[in-house]
Amino acid sequence: MTVVEQQTRAPGSVSRRRRGRRRPSPQGSRWTPYLFLAPAALFILVFQAVPLAQEIFLSFTRTTLLNPTESTWVGLDNFVRIFGDEDFHRTLRTTVVYVIACVVGAVGAGLAVALLLNRSFRGRGWARALVTVPWAAPGIAVALIATWMLNPQYGIVNRFLDAIGLGVPGGAILDSPRYALPAILATTIWQLFPFTSVVLLSALQSVPKDLTEAAMVDGAGPWSAFRAVTWPVIRPTVGLLALLMTIWSLRRFELIWLMTKGGPVGATETLVIDLYSQAFDSKELGSAAAIGMVGVVISLIVIAGSRFVARAAEKEDTR
Amino acid sequence: MKTLPFHRRATAATSIIALTAALLVGCTSDSGSEDGVTTVTFAASTFGDPGRGPQLLEWLDEFNTSQNAIRVAAAAVPYPTFGQTVLTQMGSGRGPDLIRFDMPEFEAASEAGLIAPLDDVIDVSKYKLLEQPDKFMIHGGVRHGIIFEASNYAMFYNADLIPNPPTNYQEFFDTARSLTKGDVFGLAFRQTEAEEAGVWQDIFNYVYGFGGAWSDGTNLTINSPKNLEGLQAYKDLYDANVIPRGADAATFRRMFAEGKVGMELNNGGYVTATRGQNADLNFSVAPIPFPVRSQGSILAPIVINKASPAQDAAATFIRWALEPENQVKLQEILGASSVATVTERSAESLQETPFLTVFDELTPSSLPQIVLGFEAKTPDIRKVVVQNVIAALQGTVDLKTALDRAQQQATELVG
Repeated sequence: MTVVEQQTRAPGSVSRRRRGRRRPSPQGSRWTPYLFLAPAALFILVFQAVPLAQEIFLSFTRTTLLNPTESTWVGLDNFVRIFGDEDFHRTLRTTVVYVIACVVGAVGAGLAVALLLNRSFRGRGWARALVTVPWAAPGIAVALIATWMLNPQYGIVNRFLDAIGLGVPGGAILDSPRYALPAILATTIWQLFPFTSVVLLSALQSVPKDLTEAAMVDGAGPWSAFRAVTWPVIRPTVGLLALLMTIWSLRRFELIWLMTKGGPVGATETLVIDLYSQAFDSKELGSAAAIGMVGVVISLIVIAGSRFVARAAEKEDTR
Repeated sequence: MKTLPFHRRATAATSIIALTAALLVGCTSDSGSEDGVTTVTFAASTFGDPGRGPQLLEWLDEFNTSQNAIRVAAAAVPYPTFGQTVLTQMGSGRGPDLIRFDMPEFEAASEAGLIAPLDDVIDVSKYKLLEQPDKFMIHGGVRHGIIFEASNYAMFYNADLIPNPPTNYQEFFDTARSLTKGDVFGLAFRQTEAEEAGVWQDIFNYVYGFGGAWSDGTNLTINSPKNLEGLQAYKDLYDANVIPRGADAATFRRMFAEGKVGMELNNGGYVTATRGQNADLNFSVAPIPFPVRSQGSILAPIVINKASPAQDAAATFIRWALEPENQVKLQEILGASSVATVTERSAESLQETPFLTVFDELTPSSLPQIVLGFEAKTPDIRKVVVQNVIAALQGTVDLKTALDRAQQQATELVG
């Protein structure tokens, strides 16, 4: 018996032990880990696995929102129909453009800001705090503020564009098939870049300064030093951010819905907007579920692709 | 004391929590009964109107005061999401007990069998119902609704800016153009996809006002020459930059109340709301000056949810609402709208709002904004038409091609 056990034993425990009762182990029984995992597992089962299974089932049925309990099995009809629809092709293209632009824009802007904030300058603490404000703002507030800023009558953006001679004819940026998506992208990136910049800033702080200084002493310019020293250190973080941004952008709903509802003429309609419209405007739950399945497959491909790229990079590093 | 092993206690606790949660979920209901008083929920977007909402709530309070065993509780659901929210709830076998629907959602709910028949609970022979709007409340011989509000579309104009209202389309166009200067616009209408239902209401007046129709009762006629003519008139006004482009209805109605919009086509329900925004605004109303005297009408039936456990109590409220004195009060609240029954407008109302008669005279030529013969499919057809018309407004396609495409898509949709 150890000293610790002697000190922690409660009075009377010897007699209990003598009566043959087993003292509970500090780790509990062999069921303890399962017990602790159970709430999370139950949550995932109830709120993710069951709805996903239900969605898979729905995608093979004709089910309407007004009679959701009466489904008719239609096999692959929903998939055939959505892939045969030109509007769905446009939705897929818009989704790809939106996701790529969000990832490149948010990670690129975040990296630029992180590099600036990693330097020493007066008021750096304030600057770091201020940069996080857009990320802290609720998405609905951001969408409403952006809509007001882009309002053709009162919006500051139109006033500014008019003043510099770049005004959109009629002023309705969000009603223009040409400018609506760029406006939504700008708003999205404005909201996202603080997150990427804060994460990248912490990654940049783990770059050994002496290595950077040594590279500069050896004659490397800022770009060469960044490429040879900084980039290898922050690359895994950039990869993770790119993956997160991709998945979040695929799922982003409230900002697009509040600003344009997917219009005008489908110019900002992404997969989730199309899914919502099918389910709640057209009341076609089967078609909506099929669109959702397409989204799930795209997400899985992105995750698998990112893991493949990460492993390839790891192998290259260990060579 | 005998104690259970930890994992058994935990399992028991988890089971109790799960059971409690399940019971709580199972007990949730929109209507309820407490201390012998049955509470009936009544969902209507108008409860949230700045002008009429508070007065409608007072009207409900009068019912509650008159009853010992029934209480009606208002549920204000915003107009843009009203149909979607309530239909989703009803589709899952829940939702409010009483609903004030707009026609497209009424038709969809009716076809899906989500509305309780009223024939056995309301004896309509006791009431002098307005015939024209009431005929749309019956499907296959079964009454599904009672008119809560019927509101015809007319031309609202700022009488300070426009002393003599236009009497034909060309004058209408010219007036709109001459008034548009700086931050004042001659006209306003809905033209964004975000306001799909509103755009549909607005273009309805142009289509029917130029002699067109969405269907002949059997086939869709979306791309007919008359429809093209009417929608071209709508597009010409858009292209002439005489409207505040991009402004939603809430914005341009506020602009109208502020004297920054000269004219708008609107329904009688907005007389009270406009006065609520600016009591000093000098505005008047005239028939829409298009070639054919035919315009849209907001028909808003009150219905009972088939899934409601309090259908009798809900019917009691409808019977109370149909009593002559309560109809008069409701009409006073709704302003220029009509109610279910024939009512006399008071001398005070007519003195305060002389143009009320304009709305009343439009009733025989007004139509609900549904596609006749395809009533339940109206929301789907509406989406197709609005998307294509907006594509034409945005210049991505010419109007004729847009209407041809809408015709094809809508025909595929309805089978």
